[in-house]
Order: sequence, then C-alpha cells, then structure tokens
Amino acid sequence: MKKHDTNNKRRDLLKGLATLPFLGYFGIAFKENIELELSEQARDTLPTLKIGTLDAPKQKLLPPTGNSKNRLRVGFIGNGWRSEQLLFSFGYMHPEMVKENIVKGKYSEILQSFLEQEDLNVEFAGVCDTFSLHAQHGYEFSLNDVRPGGGKGQTKPAKIFANYRDMIASDEIDAIVVCTPDHSHAKIAIAAAKAGKHVYLEKPMTQTIEEAVELRNTIKSTGVVFQLGHENRQQMSFKMAKEMYEKGALGTVSMVQTFTGRNGNYGAWIRERKFDKQGNEHNINWEEFLSGKPMCAFDPKKYFNWQRYSEYGTEMVGNDFTHKYDCVNQVLNLGIPETVIATGAQYYYKNHGDMMDVINAILSYPERGLSLTYDGTLKSSVYMQSRIFGSEATMDIDLALMMYKDGDGTRYKDVDIDTANPMYYYAPAGADAVTSATAKTYLKGGYGATSIDGKVIDASLLHVKEWVDAIRGQGKTSCNIDVGFEEAVTFNLINLACLHKKIARWDKVNEKAIIG
Amino acid sequence: MKNEKITTGEFSNWQTYSLTFLRILIGWHFLYEGLVKLYTPGWTAKGYLLGAYGPLAPVFKWMAQSKSILTFVDVLNEWGLVLIGLSLFVGLFSKYSSLCGVALLSFYYLAYPPFAGLGTNTHVEGSYWIVNKNLIEMAALFVLYQFPSGYITGIDSFFKYRKRDIAKE
Repeated sequence: MKKHDTNNKRRDLLKGLATLPFLGYFGIAFKENIELELSEQARDTLPTLKIGTLDAPKQKLLPPTGNSKNRLRVGFIGNGWRSEQLLFSFGYMHPEMVKENIVKGKYSEILQSFLEQEDLNVEFAGVCDTFSLHAQHGYEFSLNDVRPGGGKGQTKPAKIFANYRDMIASDEIDAIVVCTPDHSHAKIAIAAAKAGKHVYLEKPMTQTIEEAVELRNTIKSTGVVFQLGHENRQQMSFKMAKEMYEKGALGTVSMVQTFTGRNGNYGAWIRERKFDKQGNEHNINWEEFLSGKPMCAFDPKKYFNWQRYSEYGTEMVGNDFTHKYDCVNQVLNLGIPETVIATGAQYYYKNHGDMMDVINAILSYPERGLSLTYDGTLKSSVYMQSRIFGSEATMDIDLALMMYKDGDGTRYKDVDIDTANPMYYYAPAGADAVTSATAKTYLKGGYGATSIDGKVIDASLLHVKEWVDAIRGQGKTSCNIDVGFEEAVTFNLINLACLHKKIARWDKVNEKAIIG
Repeated sequence: MKNEKITTGEFSNWQTYSLTFLRILIGWHFLYEGLVKLYTPGWTAKGYLLGAYGPLAPVFKWMAQSKSILTFVDVLNEWGLVLIGLSLFVGLFSKYSSLCGVALLSFYYLAYPPFAGLGTNTHVEGSYWIVNKNLIEMAALFVLYQFPSGYITGIDSFFKYRKRDIAKE
C-alpha cells in the first residue's frame, strides 16, 4: 500500500513537471531563432546594388551656429500660411497656437517637439504684408516668449513695416524671407540683394525667364546668401538616390516620369482662409499687391486666389511641377531641357481665373539621352511617385525610395528577385500619420520629417537652418541660385509652350526662350 | 465539476495529454511573440494601432497618439505575452492566465475585426470572415480555462488552491 502511494506521488510529480522538457528546449533554442529572425528583418540589401556603402545616410548635422554675437534679424515679407509655417521653423509660435497646444497644463506633441527643436538664434525682427490683418497676425508671433530651448524671459516685438522697400532699407534687418505671390518674387528679391540682405525665397523662383536671369546675376554680383524654398532638398531619400545614380546603380537613365494630381476647389487653389472675408479695399494695399502689373479694380478673388490668374501666378507647373522637378533635378542633375513640347488648357474651374487645369509636357535632354515627362491635373487626386527609368533598374522616388531590377539588364542578373518586387527599399523613420489627402501628398512628396544623423527632423527646419548657417559662414545652401535658375527656366518653358501652342527651345548661349 | 473530472481521473490520459499539448502550443506561441518584441530594439505597437480599423479604431488610434499610453500598451503587450506564455507553458496559474490571454487576444481581434466591408488587414495572410486565427486561439484558451490541465500536468498540481478550486465546483 505504501509502495503504491509512493508510486502515485512520483507519478503525480512527473506529471506536474511534464512540460518542463519542452520549456527547456524552448529556453535553449529561442534566442538563436530570435536573432536569426531579427537579422533577416534587418538584412542589408545594399550589397545587391553593387555600389559598396552609401555615404549619404552618414551625413552629420551641423552643430548650432548661433551665439550671443551673431543673432540674425530676419524680416518676413508676405505673411500668409506659408510664412507662418516658416516662422515655426525659425522658432516662433503664435500665442493662439501655444494656447491650443496646452491642454490641462500638458504640452501637445507639436508643442513639445517645437520646444525641443534647434534654436537657430534668429530674431523675428520685422513683418510686412499688403493685407494689414496678415501683418498684424504675423506681428503677434513675436509677442510671446515660447521658444525652442526655452525663452529668454523677455519679448521683443517685431516691427511692422509699411512695405517691403521700407523693410529692405532698414538697418534693423539682416535677412529677409519672401512669401509673397509669385509675380512679386523677383522684384523683392532683387531689391533686397542689392541692399545687401540675404534672401530666403519661396518657390517658384520667378514668374518669367527674364526675371530669373536678372535675379541670378544680382545674387551672384552681390554675394548675398540665397536659398530657394524647396525643402525637399533636405530629404534623405533624394540624397541617397543621387548617390545611387552616380554610382551606376540605375545604369543608363533614358526616361523620367513626373506627375501631380489634385481634385476639388481647395486643390485647385479656390480657397477661403481665416481672414479672407475681412479683406477689403481699406485694409488691403491693392497697388502694392499689383507690384507693377497693369492697374485694375480691386478684386478679392484675384487677391486671395492669385494662383489662378496667370498675371500673378505661375500656373500648375509653377506650383506643383516645380516640387517634382527639383526632386529629380537633385538626383540626376538634369538642368534645363533643350526643348519642351507641352499642351494645357482650362477645362473645368472656368469661373475663376484663367489657370490651366490639365497639362502634359515632354522635356528633352538630347545631351543626356533622356526625356522627362510631366502630367498634371486638377481633376484627380491620385498619387504617383516620380519614376526614373534606368537600363539596370527603375526607381520610384518620393519621401521613400524603391528600386526594381530590370529583367533584361545585366548588373543584377544574379540577384534572385522578381522584377515586380522592390530590390531595395528605404523609408525614413518617424513619419507621423496624417489625415487629409493634400497633406498626405505633401508628406510623401518630401515635405515632412526626414532622417539625418540618427535623428528625425522636419525638412523645413533643416532647410532654413542651412540658410542661417550659410549666412554665418558655415556650409552652403543646397537650393542655391543656380538650381533655382534651372527650376525657373524649366517650368517657364512649359508655360510658354502651352501658351503659344508651339515647341519652346532654350537658347543657352543667349539665355532666352525661343518659341517655335 | 469539470475540474474534478480532470483531476480525479475521469479523463483518459490521452484527453489530459491533448489538453496539455494544446496548452503548451499556445504558451509557446505567446512566449515567443512576447520575446521577439522584447528583443526587437525600439519595438512599438504604434504602427499596428494607427492602422486599426473597424468600430473601435478611434480608440486604438488614440492610444497610439499619447506617448504615456503608448508606452503602457507596449509594456503590457511585451510582458503580457511573455508572462501568459510562461504561465501556460509550465502550468502555473494557467487557469487564470488563459483568461488573460483571451482578453489580450480580444484587443488584437477588435483592432482588425474580420467583418465584411471593413477593409483589408495587411498584417495577416489568408482570408477571414468573422472567424480568424485570433478568435480560434481565444476559443482554445477558453477551453483551457474550463479544463485547466495545469492541475495535473503543471506546477499548479503542487499547490493547495487547486484543491480549493476543485472543492468550489
């Protein structure tokens, strides 16, 4: 009986521990398997491209250049939505926005990241706008002491200037940021450069080729630091793509496709913003807005949606194509096309300005043996990356980068991957979720955060930092006057081809467009 | 009654072993899932939560937006999976960890519910309608809760609460 009990107890004990051998095996083998799994996930596909390592991702962020002796006093000419975004990058936030971003004493993620961003040591010293409410709203940014790295405990109100000429003439301003309608870009930037002010100019650079030539010559002769506002110059994907292309990963590039699509009134620049309804002849300086264009009666439609009027705007190509062009231009160093064939027309939003809403263009680069196409519509919001066709691989590029091997190429013959699946893929970490279609398009296009030096930083901040650092003699601007010139001439050739319904050629010796 | 049956030998050995085998499989699955997350540098549920759809999607997305809640969700996920997995594996508190497992899986199920017309879950393979592998694993865990094999083939068998539980039923 006793033996029976002992047997039972032993049996129960063994049963109770029955699963331990399985756990033992798990314990011995799991780590090796996890490591294997993780190494598969992190597998470096770079060797398949046969270009060695990539230098672009190793780029270091320039340390802060500001100190107590070199505070830069910046004036903002034109204070619409874009200017206020840039003020944010420069380290200024509107008091209302600060309030909205503190809920029950807690900082929102936006405010937190604003406070943690680099302090560029820039003073928002002046503002002017043809609409007094915009100037006032801009001025209010200077009325709080909420700054990256913590405020200095005192505020210095920005000065409201009556017009850009007064601001440029002021010795209280070292540099200017221009965020005005396209038709006034050249005039303001040229005057500022002549007065020795450094210039940050929003894209597109100029409304005409003649203005582009004059602005480039002025910037070069005055030596001021110039930056054009294509912040996608800071995106890591384009820097990597440039290096890959230059190291031969794509083979011979014969074709580049670019596309932009928007849909609906907002996308077509028929918009109504915060202060628009309050705008009238008394608080808008209409003559100043016209900036030398033929005098006409005050028209709020023209004033607030100037993009839709060829007299003041630069068509869809100036607004949208320039983004795409600058992205592929920095990868391939395309420059100005020799000829441009293009058609465009206004089919849809006919009750508002003369802006073309469907445009197709073919840009030829015979010396490079390639062509670039652009298709743009304001009646479809479909999204497409730019595509670079190489003899060895095709690259889809925006904020991310995807490469597909060419089935008939030789370079990647031994790479065992289907041509339908990306051979190489890169996307920056930390891209936040966004909701609206337009915002998504902007983000994918390269206007959100980018990865650099192990950090995730907003591309706009990097772009203005580059300008500020260059003014202080550290580094150079990436979207300089030469690439700005290429951008301005290229998109203007498309507009000219559409306007004249003829081929547009670039006479690079005389720096002139030839029609027909 | 059920627990009495299993411990008093009213279940055949094969029935007990089958339940034990099921417990080990699910324990293995949970433990490995948890350990992979713990070993992956910077692992976070953020992407998974942001991609959620269905009626409760706003709740999951909201979790991803708040830093402190996201940290809590991440820790709960990693350690929840590891501890439930271990518990099932060795048969310690396995009756209650089965329920915890059901609760955890219900979150995964509700974040990407396989209901018609809600969209495609890019996180899974195969085709599912109402019933998916998460739901089946939840059901299996509920079976383990009802038939706690740990009371025989687990460390639970050495403890007094086993007898108390049995007496209650």
